[in-house]
Amino acid sequence: MLSLLRKIRATGRVAEPAPPRPAAPGPDRAVELGGSVQVRHVDAGSCNGCEVEIASAFGPVYDAERYGARLVASPRHADVLLVTGPVTRNMEVALRRTFEAVPEPRLVVACGDCALNGGVFAGAYGVVGPVSDVVAVDVEVPGCPPAPEVIVAALRGLTGR
Amino acid sequence: MSVAGSAFTVALGLSAAAAVAGLAAPRRTRPLLVGLGTTAAGVAGVVAGVAALGGGSFSAWLPDLLPLAGVRLALDPLGGLFVAVTGAVAVCAAVYGVGYVAPNAVEDGSHGDGRAVQAMLPLFVAAMLLVPAAASVSTLLVVWELMALTSLLLVLAEHRRRAAVGEAARWYAVMTHLGLLVILAGLVGFAAAAHGESFAQLRAAAGGMSPAVRGAVFATTLLGFASKAGVVPLHVWLPRAHPEAPSYVSALMSAAMVNLGVYGVLRVGLDLLGGGSRWWWLLVLAAGAGSALYGILQAVVAVDLKRLLAYSTTENMGLVFIGVGAGGYFAATGSRVLAGLALTAGLLHLVNHAGFKTVLFCSAGSVLRATGSRDLDALGGLRSRMPVTTALFAIGALAASALPPGNGFVSEWLLLQSLVHALPTSATATAVVMPLAVAVVALTAGLAVATFVKAFGVGFLARPRGPGAEQARESPPSMLAGTGLAAIACVALAVAPAAVLPGLSRAAGAALGAGAVDSVHGPVTLRLTGFAGSMSPLLIAVALLAAAVGALAGVRSLVVRRARRVARLWDCGAGPMTARMQYTATSFAEPLQRVFDDVLAPETDVDVTPTAESAYLVERVKFQARVPDRIEYRLYRPVLAATRMVGEAARGLANGSVHRYLGYGFFAFTGLLIVLAVIR
Repeated sequence: MLSLLRKIRATGRVAEPAPPRPAAPGPDRAVELGGSVQVRHVDAGSCNGCEVEIASAFGPVYDAERYGARLVASPRHADVLLVTGPVTRNMEVALRRTFEAVPEPRLVVACGDCALNGGVFAGAYGVVGPVSDVVAVDVEVPGCPPAPEVIVAALRGLTGR
Repeated sequence: MSVAGSAFTVALGLSAAAAVAGLAAPRRTRPLLVGLGTTAAGVAGVVAGVAALGGGSFSAWLPDLLPLAGVRLALDPLGGLFVAVTGAVAVCAAVYGVGYVAPNAVEDGSHGDGRAVQAMLPLFVAAMLLVPAAASVSTLLVVWELMALTSLLLVLAEHRRRAAVGEAARWYAVMTHLGLLVILAGLVGFAAAAHGESFAQLRAAAGGMSPAVRGAVFATTLLGFASKAGVVPLHVWLPRAHPEAPSYVSALMSAAMVNLGVYGVLRVGLDLLGGGSRWWWLLVLAAGAGSALYGILQAVVAVDLKRLLAYSTTENMGLVFIGVGAGGYFAATGSRVLAGLALTAGLLHLVNHAGFKTVLFCSAGSVLRATGSRDLDALGGLRSRMPVTTALFAIGALAASALPPGNGFVSEWLLLQSLVHALPTSATATAVVMPLAVAVVALTAGLAVATFVKAFGVGFLARPRGPGAEQARESPPSMLAGTGLAAIACVALAVAPAAVLPGLSRAAGAALGAGAVDSVHGPVTLRLTGFAGSMSPLLIAVALLAAAVGALAGVRSLVVRRARRVARLWDCGAGPMTARMQYTATSFAEPLQRVFDDVLAPETDVDVTPTAESAYLVERVKFQARVPDRIEYRLYRPVLAATRMVGEAARGLANGSVHRYLGYGFFAFTGLLIVLAVIR
C-alpha cells in the first residue's frame, strides 16, 4: 500500500499535454449529450489491434476521460457505441441488439479500417460487411489500427471538450 | 355448567361425531363431513378457550371413564389460551383439508381421504384440545399419548406414495415416545412424592418438597416437553415429520401441537412446581437461544420448502422458550412485573407463530399440490399462476420475518423490551445472560428475513424453474379459504395485538400464580407497565402503507411524464435468457452458508469421470452439495450405531434352541432367588 502511494508520488503526471480543442463540431446530436459521453465498446469481429489502441486511448498517457468520454459496462448505460472490426456473422444479431439496447439519443463510432470497409477481411466467408451495413454510423475513425490520438480526437469531437 | 365447560363438551362431541363420520361415510362425502365436523369442533374450542381466558373456568371429574384413576378435566386461563389457539388452527386446517384431499391432476391417487386418516384428524384435534384441559397426571399422560398416536398415523397418511414417509414416521414415533417416557417418569415421581396425582394435590404438595426432588422433576419433564416443542437438540423428528405429513397435518402439528410442549413447561414448571430455582429457567432460556439460532441457520440454507418451514418452527419455539425462560427467571429473582412482560411476550409470539405458520404450511401445501414439488430450486413463477396463494404466502412470510408491519415484529419487540429492561441489575447472571439473549433474538430476526426473502422470492417470483411450476394452477376455494382465515388472523394480530394482550396477561398471571396484571396496555399504542417503552403497530402499518403508496405514486407520475420506448430485455445480445440463469435457493443462501461454514459444516462431493482414452479428457462431472443436520449426525448417529451393535450382539444369544431359552429362564430365576436371599 505504502509502496504504491510512493510510486504514485514518484511517477507524477504522465498524461500527454492536451492538444487544442477540436475546431470542427461533431454530429448535431452529440450536442445533446452536453459534453459527457458514455461509451460502450463492441468487438464485432476485430483482430484486437483496435482494442489495444482503445485501451491506450483510455490509459494514463492519452487519458480520454479528461475530455468527458468514459467507457461503461452496459449499453443500457451508454450514449455511444464504439464498434471495432468487420461485422462477422456471429456478431451481426448481437450488434443489432446492442444498438437497440442503447437509450436515445445514441451515436455509433466505427473504429478502424475493418469497421469502415472490411479492411483485410472484406469479402471473407464469415464476414457480413462493414458496420454501416448493420447499423447507421455517425463517426468514422480510419487507420489499421487507428492511433490513440486519432481515437481521442474523434471522441473529443463528440464531447466538444 | 359454564360457557367454557359446555363449549368444551360440544367441541369434544363434535370431534367424536366427525371421527365416526370419517369411519362410516362413503368416500364422496367423507372429506366434507369430516371437515365440517372438525371446523365446528375448532370453533367450539375457540369459544371454550376464550371463555376460559375471560375467567369462566370449569372443572370436571369423570371417575368411571378411565379405570383406576378416572378423568379429571379443568380449564383455567393458561389452558384456555392453548385450547383457543388449537381450536383456531383446527378451523383453518379443517377447511383447508376438505380441498386438499380431493383428487387433482398433478398427483394421482388419493391424498389421504381413506377412512383411517379421515377419522384420525378430528381425534387428533380432540386430543390437542384435551391436553391443556387435563387436570391430573394420568389424564395428561393418556391424552398426551393419544395426541402422539393420532398425529403419528396422520404423518403416515402418504406412506404408499413416498418411502421417506416411513422413515420420518419412525423417527417421530421413537422421539415422541421417548418424550412420553421421560414425562411419565418425571410426573409419576412427582405424584409419588406428593401422595396424589390431581394437579390440585401436586400444587399443594410442591411447596414442601426438597429442591433436589423438584429440580429432578422439572429437568426430566422439561426434556420430554422440549422434544415435543422441537427444541434443539431434540428437534430431529421435526424437519423429517413436517415435510412428509400432508400439509394440513403439518400446519396442525407445527402451529398447534408443538405449542403444547411450551404448555407443559409452563404448567409443570411455573404452576405445579411454583417457580423454583434460577438454574431451571436459565436452562430453558439457553435451550431456547440454541434452538432459535440453530433452527434459523438450518432454515436459511434449506432447499425443501416444508423443511425450511419446519426449521423455522424450531426457531420460533426457541424464541418462545426464551420468553418463557426469561419470565421464569425474573419470577425466581422476584421481579414480578418483568416476569409478566417476558411471559406475555413469549405467549404472544406463540399465538403469532400459530397464525403465520398455519398460513405458510397451508400455502406450501397448495404449492406442493399444484406443482408436485417442494424443492425451491424447481419452483418459481407462481405469482402469475397462483396469485392468491402467492399473496397469502407473502403475508405469512412478512409475519415470520419479524419486520413491521407483520405480527411477528410486535411479539419480538416485546420480547426484546423485556430482556433489555432487565439490565440495570446487580446480579451477575442477569448481566451476562440478558445481553446474550438480546443478541440471539436480533441475529435470529436478521436471518429470518433472509430465510423468508429466499422462500418467497425464489419460490414464487421470477420464472418457473421446472415443468411442475410451469403448469401450476390455483388451488380450490376451500384451500384458499382455510389459508385466508389464518392470514386474516395474522393481519388482525399485526394491527391490533391489544385485542389479545389482556387475555395473554391473564394466562401469564395464571402461570405465575399472581393476579392478572396487564404488563402491556393501551388500545392503539402499546405501553409497557412499569417501564418506559411504547410502540404503535397500527400507526407503523399506516405509515408504511402511506409511504409505499406515496413512493409508487411518485414513480408513476415521473414515468408517465417522460417519453417511453419499449425495448427488448437486455440479454447481452446473446438470445433468450433461460430460467436456469436465475438465482436459486442454493445460490441465494450460499454467502450465508459460507459465513456460517463452521457451524453448518456443509458437504460437497465432486466426482470426475475421465474418458477411457485419456485421463485428461473428462466425460462426466458429478457435483453434490448438501447441508446435513449436524446435531443429528454428531449426536444421534453414534447412539443409533451403538444400539444396533448391542442389538446384533444380543441376537447371538437367541439361536432358536428351545433348550437354551429354558436354560435362560432357569438361570435368571435362580439368579434372582440368590440375589433376593443375599440382600434380604
